[in-house]
Amino acid sequence: MKAVALLAMCMLAVALAAPAQEKGLILNLDIGELCVNSLQCKSSCCHRKNGLSLARCAPQAKENQECSPKTLYGTYYHCTCESGLKCDSDITIGGSITNTNFGFCVDPNDKQAAD
Amino acid sequence: MLLVWSATLLLLGFAQGAEVCYENLGCFTDDRPWSDTAERPIARLPWDPEKIGTRFLLFTAKNPDNFQEISTNKDILLSSNYEGGNMTRFIIHGFIDQGEENWLLDMCRTMLLVEDINCICVDWKRGGRTTYTQAANNIRVVGAEVAYMIELFQTHYKQKPEMFHVIGHSLGAHCAGEVGRRVPNLGRVTGLDPAEPYFQGCPELVRLDPSDAKFVDTIHTDSLPMIPYLGFGMAQAVGHLDFYPNGGKQMPGCDKNILSQIVDIDGIWEGTRDFAACNHLRSYKFYNDTILNPEGFLGYPCSSDEVFDEIGRCFPCPTGTCPFMGHHADKFKVPSGQEKLKFYLNTGEAKPFARYRYMLTITISGDRTVTGFIKVALYGSNGNSRQYDVHSGLLSPGKTYEVYIDTEIDVGEVTKMKFLWNNKILNPLLPKFGATKMVVQRGKDRKLFEFCGEERVRENVLQTLNPCTP
Repeated sequence: MKAVALLAMCMLAVALAAPAQEKGLILNLDIGELCVNSLQCKSSCCHRKNGLSLARCAPQAKENQECSPKTLYGTYYHCTCESGLKCDSDITIGGSITNTNFGFCVDPNDKQAAD
Repeated sequence: MLLVWSATLLLLGFAQGAEVCYENLGCFTDDRPWSDTAERPIARLPWDPEKIGTRFLLFTAKNPDNFQEISTNKDILLSSNYEGGNMTRFIIHGFIDQGEENWLLDMCRTMLLVEDINCICVDWKRGGRTTYTQAANNIRVVGAEVAYMIELFQTHYKQKPEMFHVIGHSLGAHCAGEVGRRVPNLGRVTGLDPAEPYFQGCPELVRLDPSDAKFVDTIHTDSLPMIPYLGFGMAQAVGHLDFYPNGGKQMPGCDKNILSQIVDIDGIWEGTRDFAACNHLRSYKFYNDTILNPEGFLGYPCSSDEVFDEIGRCFPCPTGTCPFMGHHADKFKVPSGQEKLKFYLNTGEAKPFARYRYMLTITISGDRTVTGFIKVALYGSNGNSRQYDVHSGLLSPGKTYEVYIDTEIDVGEVTKMKFLWNNKILNPLLPKFGATKMVVQRGKDRKLFEFCGEERVRENVLQTLNPCTP
């Protein structure tokens, strides 16, 4: 029964998504809307708190905030950085599999100045 | 014959002006202006207090987590945790809602974190879960019951009327107005998006108005007309201070798609409530946030939301400083004799709702004019902000752009700024742009911070601007 309801909801979502251009149900999602892939979000970050929670579009990480580098998973536990910033993290194989290569957003220009 | 006629007239008069009287509460008629007007066409008499079943749920510093139910019974009242020397705040819910709803209990708990008060949630759910016209009249009895309760506190605890604050949401706001009408010199009434139908445009007797208490403040979050926009709240200014966050009509975060709205972070129930009346319910969510963080809800005096937002005037705060919206609004000294002062501000789209307004003036330099957009981030003693889109369109070297931003953190004393531009088009000529000067003005105290830069950067590269050296 639940599965049928979910399917119906998805169908409805698809049907409703077609005419809407500006504010979609599938693409161009606002912050706080449910998503499955970062491509859907205006902010290009589909964020989930943990492996079991639902994912929602979230703003990108600002400087000095915790972040993830771009991955193929499509969702993030910590969002990717805002433009011009780099997520400074140690990339490990384990981390790549579990999507937990966390780091902090840094401005690459600041680093040069410090060196 | 004359006798018959006068009898008929008397009967007709009776049928028109029906009246009910309840013990301790007085009488209620359905005469004008309570009905028979253009705004209130359907006449309803308020229900019996028994039928409404108003409950008073008390929170104090002794029981901050679970409520004690109190009543007008003297023994129950005196044996409760009620502290007569403290301020007392009532919270009254609106149509269809209930007093045991999370938001009321949470508001009491949050207030007890910052102050030692008696917090009482007023539950009148049986009186509110009926037709709207009936509920709109039942609040008269609920208001009278709260007023009677205040009277009892005054006799048993020698409490002054200034020590009472009544907070009401929607219909509850007008109920709070009714309390204020019955209790002379009541300290404060807060209307959280007062209900529009049956109240907007009505005489002051019927609705919330500045005469109901020494200080009346309201938050308007759903002020579009009921027909055809289904705006439940009133646009009319009805307090000493009237706050219109985000223009008061459409709240950010309330135009999500159905699925995302219902499957809310705070659960399906909260999501469903938001699906039905997101804008309307934002008023108490804002109020709840203002208890712990007054600074993030500074109201700027302005004539309308277009002037505030689209033209971007009404900035910075006048020298008398701006009032805080919500819980700490009473810190503002209202100039005597003034009422219905309107204030505007912007909030976030989800918790935390607090925002801090700045004005930026940015002068850019570059090789040639291109189309693109500019982002700016603020860095200060309290941390740094996100990047804000400050301009999109033509980037002309030498031009100055003036914009307003509402940041999610108070950066404190601004120490540096970062500038970034982009146009999402690969340009083989690799144009470079830079900001030569940026001036930031902080809204709350009009303080100016000036930053200068010389370098130019390629697209998507951050340029840092440091304070200008004279």
